[in-house]
Amino acid sequence: MSASPTPRRLGNAILAAAMTLPCLHNAQADSPPEQGQISYRYLDYRESQPDADRISVKAHALALSAPLNESWSLDASLTTDTVSGASPAWWTKNLNTMHDERNAGDITLTHYLPHDTVGVNASLSRENDYESRSLSLSGSHSSDDKNITWHYGVGGSADHITSMGLDEDKQVINFLLGVTRVVSTKDIIQANLTYSSGHGYYSDPYKLADNRPRNRHQTALLTRWNHHLEELGHTIHLNYRYYRDDWGVQAHTLGAEYVVPLNEGWTLTPSLRLHTQGKADFYVDEVNFPSADTYHSQDQRLSALGALTLGIKLSKQISDLWSGDVKLERYEQRGSWYLGGDGSPDLAAFRATFLQFGLTRKF
Amino acid sequence: MIRSLALLVCAALLTACSIDPVHPWEKGMLAKPEMTFESNRLEAAYSEHIYFSKEAASGGSGVGGGGCGCN
Amino acid sequence: MNLQTWQFRFTALGGSCEIRICTERKEDAMAQTEAAISEIDRIEKKFSRYREDSFISRINQGAGQGEWFECDAETCWLLDYADTLYTHSDGLFDITSGVLRRAWNFREARLPNADAIAALLPLIGWRQVEREGARVRLPQSGMEIDLGGFGKEYATDNAANLLSRAGIRHGYVNLGGDIHVMGPQPDGQPWLIGIQNPRQKGEIIATIPLTQGGLATSGDYEKFFEIDDQRYCHVLHPRTGYPVSHWRSISVMAPLTIAAGSYSTIAMLKERQAPAFLEQTGLDFLAIDHTGNMLRPG
Repeated sequence: MSASPTPRRLGNAILAAAMTLPCLHNAQADSPPEQGQISYRYLDYRESQPDADRISVKAHALALSAPLNESWSLDASLTTDTVSGASPAWWTKNLNTMHDERNAGDITLTHYLPHDTVGVNASLSRENDYESRSLSLSGSHSSDDKNITWHYGVGGSADHITSMGLDEDKQVINFLLGVTRVVSTKDIIQANLTYSSGHGYYSDPYKLADNRPRNRHQTALLTRWNHHLEELGHTIHLNYRYYRDDWGVQAHTLGAEYVVPLNEGWTLTPSLRLHTQGKADFYVDEVNFPSADTYHSQDQRLSALGALTLGIKLSKQISDLWSGDVKLERYEQRGSWYLGGDGSPDLAAFRATFLQFGLTRKF
Repeated sequence: MIRSLALLVCAALLTACSIDPVHPWEKGMLAKPEMTFESNRLEAAYSEHIYFSKEAASGGSGVGGGGCGCN
Repeated sequence: MNLQTWQFRFTALGGSCEIRICTERKEDAMAQTEAAISEIDRIEKKFSRYREDSFISRINQGAGQGEWFECDAETCWLLDYADTLYTHSDGLFDITSGVLRRAWNFREARLPNADAIAALLPLIGWRQVEREGARVRLPQSGMEIDLGGFGKEYATDNAANLLSRAGIRHGYVNLGGDIHVMGPQPDGQPWLIGIQNPRQKGEIIATIPLTQGGLATSGDYEKFFEIDDQRYCHVLHPRTGYPVSHWRSISVMAPLTIAAGSYSTIAMLKERQAPAFLEQTGLDFLAIDHTGNMLRPG
């Protein structure tokens, strides 16, 4: 017979075992969450380059999740961003000041069946010179023992751009196929493949001589792994995404989080994200005024770069119904950090700080 | 060619491997919020939006949601 | 919403039971209670060792014959839970110890023969039970598994869960003293649960207010006899084969009744070590020792 477990674990072990009571984890049907919830989240984003501050964004978002009955649920959200500050007109030079507001909302209706879920989502986003509408259908199918779940989805969006006197459109259709698998009592993995095909106006009217193709086809493969460390009670999250598109961009993104539950319902989660991307074929790093039929962009976002995010989140289960969190992240992007060759030169290092605050109430 | 191979390997690893199935009563740890992939919706939305606006890559997590003129 | 409180009394699992729930209409309360009682009956039919046709009885009848029994998810869970209890009670909570009732007949006030008990001890030992995945068998003829140690509490949690899922937010399920409260009284006040005086049947010795969760009591007064002022009760130590005697009753409160019942039974078996054991759990409890002294968490 094994030695007596240490006192601290003994007190919890029987109750923890009881909590896995089958009737509480009804594996018979996928069902809406037992409780509804409403969440508020605030974002304060500030970016800068060594010689100047750039834009800052303040955003407020509200989300509602409500079970309607045993087999239907509704999710909705509203977001408003205010963007102000300065953005470069070319590379990281000539910062033009700007101020813009964006309002967006979306709604999803989900139906639950014994081994499937099906949902429809509609969303709308409006700025004074950019409007985007989208509609999508997504669903999932689980194996009998719920250890394997397939995900699928198809969506379309239509954007209308009216900046600088333009009257342009863009339509994008995208697809998702994914699978989630329970690998052990402490491991769960997921892989998602997405493909998107778009036509229309992709250029950035605020950037000098920006002329991008009128098509873009993008593929991304995201793999995730959550692993629970039973002895410590901590959890590791790892994710890796491979991306490529027909503009010549290839990117790798690696993310990690480490969840540490503390006393009194507090949890600390440090996080790390590494990103490296190659440049778009038509990205140029020298002054070059092209003819109208050559693709050309000096947008820092399409250059070869590497980026690092370090973050820390502190969350608390305040009571049975309320929970909250604060998250601080520091982001830096540099051409020299591009892995796989020479990064795009002559771009000022770009830094940003994001601070988020969230509050949720269940009902 | 390499890409197709990678995809095939992923799919194979994910579904074809036969491992001891995990029974419903053993899923106590998996039910913890930090073990699910359904993270905070608004937090994920802010994150995706920021990286979509500042980098060239995007996608992998869902369909739907439109674009924006973010700079 | 105009909620009324409805009370239903019935007999199940060898004792008197009560379901008290609050709904607007009586028909809804009756329908929900019927469903809950059906669920309790289902569990009794499947797991009671008193019923010859139950699944557990079939496993016991096949003891020593080499035949494997294929268990479904629910039975596997209960056997896994029994294993957890065995491990975390230093082997005191052992579902193979039911064979001792062949020596201890509580209808007669007569001490069993020491040889009779000695003959039964080799049949006791959870680690002897053979399990292979979802299959189980008892290797020796005469061995038995008995889920009576937490069966009633399991039924209580299941019945309460069924009522909660159906929308009942106020009420409780009481199966012979094992209680699960789904929610407080309609005005938000807790239900006042009476703890029976272990030496005076029908008399309440303490009242516990409960708004949610489980309460279970293990006591020396359910089945017992007394000889020369010494009480011999049905809570039998698996290694000695004799009853424990340090506590008259122990009641524990936990989010689930099955956990509350497991803790209270293990505490009874731990005798003098019960207070330390219960304190470690951090749960609320009420223990009455053999002199009548009442103990609460320190």
